Amino acid sequence: MRGARLGRAGTGGQPIKSRSACERPWQSQWGVNVNALMRLLLHLLSASAALALSSGAAQAHPHVWVTAASELIFAADGSITGIRHAWTFDDMFSTYALQGIAAKKKGTYSREELAPLAQTNMDSLKEYGFFTFAKVNGQKQPFQKPADYFLEYRDSTLVLHFTLPFKTPIKTKQLAVEIFDPTYFVDFALQKQNPIRLVGAPAACATTIQRPNDGAAAAQKLGEASFLNGSNSNYGAMFANKINVDCP
Amino acid sequence: MKTNRQTALNCLAIMAVAIVVDGALRSALAQNPFGGPPAAPDAQIGGIVGWLMTKQSEFYREMSATIRAAKADGSAVWTLLAISFAYGIFHAAGPGHGKTVISSYLVANEETARRGIVLSFVSALMQSLIAVLIVGIGAWLLNVTAKTMCGAERAIEIASYTLIAAFGVRLVWSKGGGLIRALQSSYGRSAPTIAPVLAHATAFHHDHGHHSHDHGGHEHHHHDRGPAHATVARDRVSGHEHAEHREHGHVHDEHCGHSHGPEPSQLSGPGGWRRGFSAVLTVGIRPCSGAILVLVFALAQGLFWAGIAATFVMGLGTAITVATIAIIAVSAKGLARRITAGRGGSGALVMHGVEFAAAGMVLLFGVGLLLGYIAAERVTCF
Repeated sequence: MRGARLGRAGTGGQPIKSRSACERPWQSQWGVNVNALMRLLLHLLSASAALALSSGAAQAHPHVWVTAASELIFAADGSITGIRHAWTFDDMFSTYALQGIAAKKKGTYSREELAPLAQTNMDSLKEYGFFTFAKVNGQKQPFQKPADYFLEYRDSTLVLHFTLPFKTPIKTKQLAVEIFDPTYFVDFALQKQNPIRLVGAPAACATTIQRPNDGAAAAQKLGEASFLNGSNSNYGAMFANKINVDCP
Repeated sequence: MKTNRQTALNCLAIMAVAIVVDGALRSALAQNPFGGPPAAPDAQIGGIVGWLMTKQSEFYREMSATIRAAKADGSAVWTLLAISFAYGIFHAAGPGHGKTVISSYLVANEETARRGIVLSFVSALMQSLIAVLIVGIGAWLLNVTAKTMCGAERAIEIASYTLIAAFGVRLVWSKGGGLIRALQSSYGRSAPTIAPVLAHATAFHHDHGHHSHDHGGHEHHHHDRGPAHATVARDRVSGHEHAEHREHGHVHDEHCGHSHGPEPSQLSGPGGWRRGFSAVLTVGIRPCSGAILVLVFALAQGLFWAGIAATFVMGLGTAITVATIAIIAVSAKGLARRITAGRGGSGALVMHGVEFAAAGMVLLFGVGLLLGYIAAERVTCF
């Protein structure tokens, strides 16, 4: 049987001395299906290629942990002028960031000694949009350059303080703010107690907070994440902290 | 007949599963890989990958506390090493370009699982070594800032991606030639003879004596091969084709019972190892950001040696995972070849297609990483 089949492909007259069961099945069963098989293989390959490409953003697991506390700053007229962050870095990253930075007094760092590092932070975070995304009715609200930034050394960790002023103060009934790293290299967690404060807000304003470990948020974001969306940016959104400010 | 079909289906299923699992491991998308509904919403991210990510995060976070503990209690170093080992295993199981490049390289070339294992270990060892060198020279000797070290990491990163892309170009070039020749012979000759693959193979033949009959599109199965391997060294010089075809024979033998391991000369052929090591070099020079952080932290705690030990143990864990994935990739290809083996020209065409696609993958990754379409693990620069 096999000899006849192979005759098509031709063995060059080589006698077949032994055949073991393990090579016959394909020949008898898959004989006519090489094209289908090829399609299958190509399909699988392109699927893995697509996966590999689209998953680029997901390569990282968090290496840096930030505990965030933020303030929304209101002007006298009730418009929101900006966001003031206080981000506490984890032990390991704080130590790493302090590498090579000289301190006059051992074991503590003054604001001045940390000023160059704070500058580095601001310069680098710019590339990531300061991990802060504000929206009104789905419209992205741009920020100006950060102001009033400094680092504080507290309980052997670094706390980064900075203010992001909106390009134009926002007068709105509802502002949505998300804090997260799209590539999830940095894990953001809002601090447990009172993470979002409204400063100078009209009395009627209130905040609602959705933390990433809230199942509903994760499910929603998963639905939004899609293949090859080109931006490589949806992955970390599953870990976003979502803040809504309502001023009815 | 029934059992034959069963076996065939089983083998095909195994291959499909292997490829899909491999793809899934490389992707941390929580979605069903083929666009289905997302995984269980109660987990932050679903499935194996989500679990892997959670685990490695846990291990990683425990490291700083353990290093601190080791300052007071030396025995905590053992805990640190255990955590680092586990972290290495889990970290490498997640998506990463390193194992993608190595696996693709192994599939594109006819490589043995054994060589895949060795290459995985060498690349992991190299990664650890580079991390130790960066922190050892940068932080310990010169006491530069994190920003400066990060600049060095970035430079290395760009070099690594460029090398991957260049390596991909080289693979695509050589594999593309094979594919085109296979296509030509497959379409150029409709005559129902063996010719297809032999035609292209013979283009490269010189005088291989016993060897030439081996190239018949993987048709030959079990004739005695006698002193065929004596020509190994010469084969290497004249291109990939020979190495491939020889090992086709090898794989068949192994699968069907009369196994013989690869001869040392096969593994240490002049072109072979060098090519393998260039694959390793492209990915191995880029250190893992996690290792750098751990090393700097350990140095600051006055336990640099513990950080170094942890880094190498991490590398060992990484190597085990990458080697496993490499074995899966090599086996999947072996299986694919066995399935296509009896099909002469068209079967060979499939295998050339697979090799070409794997080569293309390396190129795509290199270019994607360079242009930033694929975000690799970020360098800690802020």
